Amino acid sequence: MIEVKSVEKKYGRKKILKDVSFTANKGEITCLIGINGVGKTTILNAIMALTPINKGQILIDGEPLTKNSFEKITFIPDTITMLPHMKIAEAMEFMNDFYTCWNQERANELLGFFRLDPKDRIASLSKGNTAKVNLLLGLALDVDYVLMDEPFSGIDMFSREDIANVFTSHLIENRGVIITTHEVGDIEHLIDKVVLLDDGKVTKEFSAEEARENEGKSVIDVMREVYQR
Amino acid sequence: MKNYMKLVNFEFNRIAKLFAVLLGVTFVIQIVGVIVQSRYYLNMANEIMYEGMLSKSQFLENYDKISFSQIMNSMWFLGSIWFCVAAVVFYIFIIWYRDWIGKNTFIYRLLMLPTTRLNILFAKITTILIMTLGVVAIQLIMLPIETLLMKAIVPKEFIRDISVNEIVTIMPEFSFIIPNSPIELVLIYGAGVLAVSILFTAILMERSFKWKGILGGLIYSAVAVGLMISPLLINEFFLNGFFYKIEMFVLEIIMGFLVLAGSIWTCRFLLMKKITV
Repeated sequence: MIEVKSVEKKYGRKKILKDVSFTANKGEITCLIGINGVGKTTILNAIMALTPINKGQILIDGEPLTKNSFEKITFIPDTITMLPHMKIAEAMEFMNDFYTCWNQERANELLGFFRLDPKDRIASLSKGNTAKVNLLLGLALDVDYVLMDEPFSGIDMFSREDIANVFTSHLIENRGVIITTHEVGDIEHLIDKVVLLDDGKVTKEFSAEEARENEGKSVIDVMREVYQR
Repeated sequence: MKNYMKLVNFEFNRIAKLFAVLLGVTFVIQIVGVIVQSRYYLNMANEIMYEGMLSKSQFLENYDKISFSQIMNSMWFLGSIWFCVAAVVFYIFIIWYRDWIGKNTFIYRLLMLPTTRLNILFAKITTILIMTLGVVAIQLIMLPIETLLMKAIVPKEFIRDISVNEIVTIMPEFSFIIPNSPIELVLIYGAGVLAVSILFTAILMERSFKWKGILGGLIYSAVAVGLMISPLLINEFFLNGFFYKIEMFVLEIIMGFLVLAGSIWTCRFLLMKKITV
């Protein structure tokens, strides 16, 4: 389980995160939803120790993040995390070199799934295909938790479909996923848990299924209630 | 250790092509320099002999022979060597900023590697050291080739043979290329590593705290330099030269290690706790 406890983050004098707390379980897809600038990316960066926090604590399976945690949790930002001049094959080789949890078989499967050519240079790829490579490099790691930042933003319809299909496949199964988005439409039916953020705080944390079954409300219905109050 | 080696290999390969071009250009410039300078000397000698109706031996009695140090003292050499030095110094900054700036967000990957973040720092320091030693090694290989070229152009009797040691005595600024002793070599490159570690600390402060970090980096660098020269100043102004030279030398070495350890500790703290992608 990933536990984010009372996290506070300031940029200069501006408080971006004010007392953010939520949990994300293994085997579930947790979606952080909020408008742009609400601090979704900052939360993911903070979980991965890519930006310092001013207060609070973040635990992964009950322990703070260490160097070994990167074999257990990975982050797929909204920009490519490999050198643009590298070929896809070279990027995979790099990952294989450094991560013991790199799964080449799964990487090959993802190459086929996304119809990517390993001989292509990353710099020559379209935005959609670059996003797919980024996803490939994250998902081919045998980790328990995957964090994804806006995997659908600025990507064409067909690539979005491809990426959305990943969520229903065995590539995600049994892992804990935290995904941020400001467009819920693409994945609404896939989400297990929703964390709504506004003004640097968690305004609501709920199970999507319970909301559907008990209250007959979709994620978007609940969002409307919360944000238009 | 294995990850450190992999990172060094990776970091060096990122610059290897450009570095090879830099060394290639340096080589070409110096070769052209040897040809131009040698011919210039020969033309001058011929002109003087022709105009003064002098024989070779008369000329050699009255005018200087050419030595390789004269060629090295030309802009062809000084310029190309300082250009290499400037390029390596420039790369001390670029080696960090290239991971953040522009479309490149490779810093995400580096910081998420399952290895201590200090390895990133050590790999970058090592890359700078390899580049410096690379410049020196290539220069040492080039010197005999260039001397041969000069000897091929200028007749033997016009040449004053000069040893490598003499070159360093004439031009002490080249002592970093050709150190006089193994101890000097360790000292020169130790000081180099120390300077790079101080600059890296300043860069990481800027990366962690932005504008405030620039100020912090400048203050840190000033304090580090202050600490390094403090034994000299204290000995000179407060102790009236109480310590022997050798004692001062030991004090300086100890201070160097302290500043190096301080820089590495600060870098580790920044990379672990304060860095922002």
